Formats: sequence, C-alpha cells, structure tokens
Amino acid sequence: MLSRVANNLIWLDRYMERGYGILSLLKVNYYANQDSPELFSWTPIIHNYDVDGTNFSTEDAIECIQHMVFNTNNSNSILNIITKARENARSVQEHISREMWLSINDYYLFLIDKNLPKKLKEEDPLEFLDNLKFFHLNYYANMEITQGRGPSYYFLNVGRYLERVILISEFTALKLMEISKTTDKLEQSFYWKNLLLSIGGYRHYLKTHKSSFEQENIITMIFQDELFPKSVYYCINKLNKHINSLILSNELEKNNLEFLLGKLESTIKYTTIESINNQGLDNFIKDIKEDIKNISLTVNTVYFSQVN
Amino acid sequence: MKDQKQFSSYDLVANTWDEMYKNSTEIRTHYDIINTYLKSVSKEKLDKKEELSKQLFMSQGVTFTVYSDNEGIEKIFPFDIVPRVILASEWDKIDKGIKQRLKALNLFIKDIYHDQFIIKDGIIPAKLIFDCPNYLREMMGVNVPHDIYVHIAGVDLIRNNDGEFYVLEDNLRTPSGVSYMLENREISKRIFPGILPKNNVRSVANYPDLLYKKLKELSDQNDPNIVLLTPGIYNSAYYEHTTLARLMGIELVEGRDLLVKDHHVYMKTTNGLKRVDVIYRRVDDEFLDPLEFNASSTLGVAGIMAVYRKGNVAIVNAPGTGVADDKAIYVYVPAMIKYYLNEEPLLKNIETYQLANPEEYKYVKDNIKTMVIKKTDGSGGYGMLMGHEADDEEIKDYLNTVDKNPAGFIAQPILRLSTAPCSIDGQLTPRCVDLRPFALNGVDGVDITPGGLTRVALKKGSLVVNSSQGGGSKDTWVIE
Repeated sequence: MLSRVANNLIWLDRYMERGYGILSLLKVNYYANQDSPELFSWTPIIHNYDVDGTNFSTEDAIECIQHMVFNTNNSNSILNIITKARENARSVQEHISREMWLSINDYYLFLIDKNLPKKLKEEDPLEFLDNLKFFHLNYYANMEITQGRGPSYYFLNVGRYLERVILISEFTALKLMEISKTTDKLEQSFYWKNLLLSIGGYRHYLKTHKSSFEQENIITMIFQDELFPKSVYYCINKLNKHINSLILSNELEKNNLEFLLGKLESTIKYTTIESINNQGLDNFIKDIKEDIKNISLTVNTVYFSQVN
Repeated sequence: MKDQKQFSSYDLVANTWDEMYKNSTEIRTHYDIINTYLKSVSKEKLDKKEELSKQLFMSQGVTFTVYSDNEGIEKIFPFDIVPRVILASEWDKIDKGIKQRLKALNLFIKDIYHDQFIIKDGIIPAKLIFDCPNYLREMMGVNVPHDIYVHIAGVDLIRNNDGEFYVLEDNLRTPSGVSYMLENREISKRIFPGILPKNNVRSVANYPDLLYKKLKELSDQNDPNIVLLTPGIYNSAYYEHTTLARLMGIELVEGRDLLVKDHHVYMKTTNGLKRVDVIYRRVDDEFLDPLEFNASSTLGVAGIMAVYRKGNVAIVNAPGTGVADDKAIYVYVPAMIKYYLNEEPLLKNIETYQLANPEEYKYVKDNIKTMVIKKTDGSGGYGMLMGHEADDEEIKDYLNTVDKNPAGFIAQPILRLSTAPCSIDGQLTPRCVDLRPFALNGVDGVDITPGGLTRVALKKGSLVVNSSQGGGSKDTWVIE
C-alpha cells in the first residue's frame, strides 16, 4: 500500500474517533451543566479542545456547543474534524468501501448545510448532538460490515485505537483537574460519574459495581478492564492486534514497535491500583500519553519514512 | 394523463438543427420513447427528478470544491435530465470518422517526432510545428510502445445546421469528462426506470475494463503495476481520477508518491519501493518532469522522462501529443488523412482561417461579426472572441492582441450548434449541445464507447458548452 494512503487511512479514522469523542463529551456536559452549572462549566472543555480559542469565554451552553461544532477557526470543531476526515476519505476512495465513503460524505454535506446552525438554536440540543453522533455510529457500522479485512482495515483501526487512548487520557485528566479543586466526597463522586458518562462506560460500571462510585473501581475499569471497549487496556490490546496483522501481512516492519506496544500493554495490565495511587493518576496518565506518542511517532517514522 | 405543458415553450431556434424536432410539429422518430415518457409525467414529477439527480450527484461525491473565505463549497457540474438521443446509423458514421482521424493523427505524431516526412513533403509548414508550444523537442526520436501516442482521446463534435457532424477539436492530451459519461448513465437509470432497456440504449459500462486492458497491454510484464497519476484533491477533475482508479482497481498516486531510482519509476509503499510499469497521467506535459519541463512543478516526478525514453515506464498519453490537437494544426488534419491513409476524411473539419495568412486575416476582419477567433493553444473556452456578441471596443482590443502574433490565432465562422431539449425550470427548452465521444486506442485498434458526453450551453442563446463557463452535461443514448 502507498505510504501516503496508509497515513490517510490512519488519520481518517482518528478524525472520526475524535469527532465522536468530542460529541459525547459535549452531550454529557450539556446535560450535567443543566443540573449543576457550578460543577460542570464549559470553560475547561473549550480550553482543552480549542487550542487557539483564548478569546472565547462564555458559559452560554448553546454558544459553546455552536463554537465546538461549527466554528471553523477552532481546529477541533466538529465541522473542521469532519472536513479533514472527508478529505482523507476522498483521497483513499479506492481503499475503503463505497458505503464508508458515502456515509462520510453524507455527514459532511449534512454539516455544511446552511440551515443546520439554526436547528441547534431552535431545537433540542441533545437531539441535535445525538443526530451528529448517529453519523459516527453509521460510519462504524458501515466499516464493520462492508470493509474488507486487510491492510486498509488494519490501518483504519490503528488510527481508531490510538485516538481512543488519547481521548480517554484527556477526558480523565480534565476531570482530575476538577476533582483536585474540591475535598467534598460527594462532589468528587459526581465528577467520576460524569467521566464514566463521557467515555461511555456508565452502564458497564453499574452492572459491575452497582450505584456506588468508588474512585478505585472507576480507575480500574477505565484503565484495566479487559471487556470494556473504551478502556485503555482494551484499546492497547486492539492496537497491538492490528499492528501485528500489519506486520504479518508485510505492510509493516517490526522494529521496536512490537516492543513499545508490548511494554505498554503489560504496564497497564500489571500495575496495581495501589501503585497507580502511589505515583498519582495524573503521572500514570502522563506516562501513557508519552508512550502512545512514541508509538504513533514510530509508526510514522518506520512506515511513512518514504513519504516526502 | 397527457400533459403537454412542458413543451409549451419549445421555440425552435431559426436556422439551427434540433436533435428532437424535425420542424415545429414533427418529432424525429428516435425521440419517440423519450417524448412519450416526458409527456406522461407532470411538471412536478420532472422537477422532483431533477432534484433527485442533484442529490445523487452530491451524495455520491460527484463534486468539486470551490474554496472561498476559508470555506469549502461543494459544486456539481449541472446535469440536464433529458437525454440526448443519437441513432445507431448516425453513430456508425461518427465511430468510423473518429477511428480514421485518430489513426492519421497518431501517424502524424510519430512522424513529427521521427522522420518528419509530412514536413519534407511540404504538406505542413515546418514553422507551424516548431512554433507550436505543445511540440516537445524532448520527444524527438523516442520510440513508444506499439507506436501508440494517443491512447485516450475525447474528440469534440458539433452538428451544424446541415445535420452533419463536424469536428471542433481533437483533444489528445488529457481529455476529461468520461466519468460524467459513466455517472450520467447511472443517474439516468435512477430517474428513468425501465426506459433504457425499452430503448435498446447501448451500454457505456465497459469503458473502465477496456481502458484497463489498453493500459495493461503497454507493459510486457505479466502483472504490470498500473497507476493513475493525479495532481491531487484540489484538482477540479479529482472526482474523475478517483472514479477511474476505483473502477479499474488501480492505485491513484500523486507525484510525491513516486520517485525515480536506477532508471525505473517506483512508488513509495508501506513495505518499501514498488516498481511502476504504466502511468495513466492526468498531469499536463508541462508539469510531468521538473528536470525537463517546468522546474517549479511539484505535481510530477523528477527524472521520469529519462526513464520513459529508456522504455522502462509507459506514459499515457505519450508526452508531446499536444502538437496534434493544436488549433493551428487542426486545419491540416484532412490533409493528414489523405497523406497518411490515402482516404477522404469521413468527418468534416470546420472551415478555419489562419490569421498568419494576411488574405485570410483580412477576410476575417471584414466578416468579424460572423466569426469566432480563438488562440491556437487555448482550451476551456477561454480567450475567445465571439464576433456577434462583442462590441466595437472589444473587437478592437482583441485584434490588437492578434496583431502582435497572428500565428497564435485562428478564426472560424460562428457555428449553428444543434439544439436539444433541456429541462429548464420544468419547461423543455432548446439549448445548444456538442458531443464528446471517448476513444481508446490500443494494439487491436481504436474502440469508441457508444455515446459519450453531451455538453450543453445552459444559458439561453449561448454557444459555450465548457463546464467552467456555465455549461452542463447530458446523458447520451445511442439507440438502434
């Protein structure tokens, strides 16, 4: 496969994953913000995701969503993210299924419709965000059912799980900042619950631990659960699997990629909660992010060294 | 159920051939089925079909993006839902005529880049060839696979008021539009369910397979690596490049994906360099190789021409074919046909005046109101002077430019392009059309897909069908 194509496939799925993650975060925050605006303000989200948005400061929920969905000056706005996803998809049309391309193109056309921003203002924002999320689910479903298994599929998945680990780490770090500001146990449990909702593991948690929000249980689930598809461990495991498939099909050289992934997987699996508490969760996350960055760079240097 | 309203404003244009109407009351029989169908549907339904066609183009991504104010606007090339119908007997004539023409043009290009007999025999003046900006000295003496230079051509035809087809332009470089021929047919199947089989419309669907076959035979490898070279996603024909690559199952590459090493072209893949054997390039000659042509080009591949001259890669179409579709050379195509094939041309040329010739220039000036003047190396409908539309000032300005380099211009009488019914605001209205059939040249000869792309000047009274200037397109049916 062309190196450029592989690169574009990774980024296509990274952008789709990122879009979905941000939409989930917006939806959960909107909901929580309606209940307790003093706990769930918009500023941390805007600051974290709009890197250039220093001038943007409002707590008006609709304006914040508007900014995060439509503002083209915000590089993480959904419109920008999907435009980039579509550009990547457009340049690899011969490598993805027709259905995948059509689902991304439909999504893009939906977003650039001039009447859409009005809908956000006039209709239920939750339904609005759900509608956007639906396009992502549609994309995932199309990929699952119509995309042939092979290098293209593996590269798409590499993008997906890299991005997912980054999102989980970012969401958790965001909440940790809030949690550190309060000593009230009840408030802290609100934040933890909110984190579960943003990542999408609330129901999975309830099934396992019932309605008791213990920090340690939540951390264990988000980082180490083997069955929860949004856990860091699950993602690294998948990442490892897809990269191995690429190595087996001769699309990738081993180099130290196998080592980096194997090391990260074991670290996450075998670090005890006590040890996480000892080094501090924020440090633990920092290390994971550093490792993921290294893996991503290695993928780039090893496999795309020929580009440019 | 009969509703004739859609036809109420069908005013035939005087002195012009209409594809559907023989005269104000009589319809040509090959339009019967479509006519009956159009009469059986209401205006509302027709509007809906038009809307559907627009949506289909959009959702399939058959679009190009126009960037303004940091915002991408998706545009579609306008599509008129009423197909243009051509009778098989007429088509056979076109088919034979284009085959003859391409055969001669291909021999001409080979001759020009080798022995130049046609110049030595005094058929074409040497100056004309060497002055032509698309003549490439870099191609002198280069042998190309099977002596084929033009593998893909899109010859523009128009039907004059005598009912005859004339050749307007031979597009022998990187003609575009074939994806619209394919896409228009797909849309027709959706908006006229059941009508195509009833009409015995000849299929266009095997174009990609045929193209692949012709590309494959250019390499002596068993399983050659064939790629389509595109300038990239910002090119307005990018949709066409992805479509053709997808339909043929070949890799779509950009210049930055290729490199030259050890006298071969390679593409950069995830498991190293992979040799490339055949390149269907949609990048103009000028940008193909920064080492030999435009040095600032980033769209091409440095050193590719050297590899090509060694015979280690096939480039389609061959570089330098532009010498044969230059507007000043066009005048000599009938002479080429006689010279190389000893045959009478089956398709006529449009009468053309060379402004380098003072007598012809004088004649053109005297009859300026009935003339169109074009640059010999222009395309896309730009840089033309339409005598009947221009005011005195514009004519004066234009002629001043001509005076500086008369050899760079030709003139032709303003043509009566035939009209065909188009659905404009739900009304059937005549609009000027041309026809671009797509021809593929290979070891077994030339194959032409029945039909091609009918382009429409959607503006009332306009003769310019170019998509960049308010033109649209139609599906083209060749029926028995």
